[in-house]
Amino acid sequence: MKCPPLLLRLGIGRRRFPVWLPLFLLWPVAAAVIIVLAPLVLLAALILRPLGWGKLVIISGPMFFGVLCALRGLELNLNLGNRLVLISFK
Amino acid sequence: MSDNQKRILDLLAEKKISVDEAQRLLSLTGSEKDTGAKGPDDTPAPMGKPRYFRVQVQPEDGSGKKSVNVRIPMALIRAGMKLNSLIPGHASDEVNEALREKGIDFDVRNLKPEDFEELVAALTDLEVDVKGGREKVHIYVE
Repeated sequence: MKCPPLLLRLGIGRRRFPVWLPLFLLWPVAAAVIIVLAPLVLLAALILRPLGWGKLVIISGPMFFGVLCALRGLELNLNLGNRLVLISFK
Repeated sequence: MSDNQKRILDLLAEKKISVDEAQRLLSLTGSEKDTGAKGPDDTPAPMGKPRYFRVQVQPEDGSGKKSVNVRIPMALIRAGMKLNSLIPGHASDEVNEALREKGIDFDVRNLKPEDFEELVAALTDLEVDVKGGREKVHIYVE
């Protein structure tokens, strides 16, 4: 089963120790927001259907969820001498 | 011969499984071996589906002062490819125009997930090592 990243390791600037952000705390809130907004999205899809955008509105949600889940394992680690950029999804 | 294969042959000898079942189980243990990390002589076994695209840039002197280490999941690229269908037609035209200005005659609407799978399969054995100047660039899939 696809699962969005649970943790984000983030270090930008001169920080030697990156911070761990608990993304898993956000997902229940995001799920609640999505459930609340779902009827509005369906309404928007119905309104935009004559323009040919209805299907797009419906499928864009699962597609972006797919991208979110695929972020797991992404790691950017740039050490530019005096600056550090670290983004790592776990 | 692995323990699993011996066990299957024992079961066949004891007539607890049929020849067809033994053949099927043996083929499964064979595929397990293919995806395993090591071969019989401790050399890496053939790679399965690559999971990550890696780019590493490190200084030649090994000091590690300036380095780049990027790991991109193949799943992310796949998911991005699917987003291609969300690009409106006029945006594709603009991208094509920008590519043409750079001398690349390519239509982004022709990008298909199947093409990407073919590309990934071809990338499996790819390993690029560039040593020049003060940095060493290593591009590979794992």
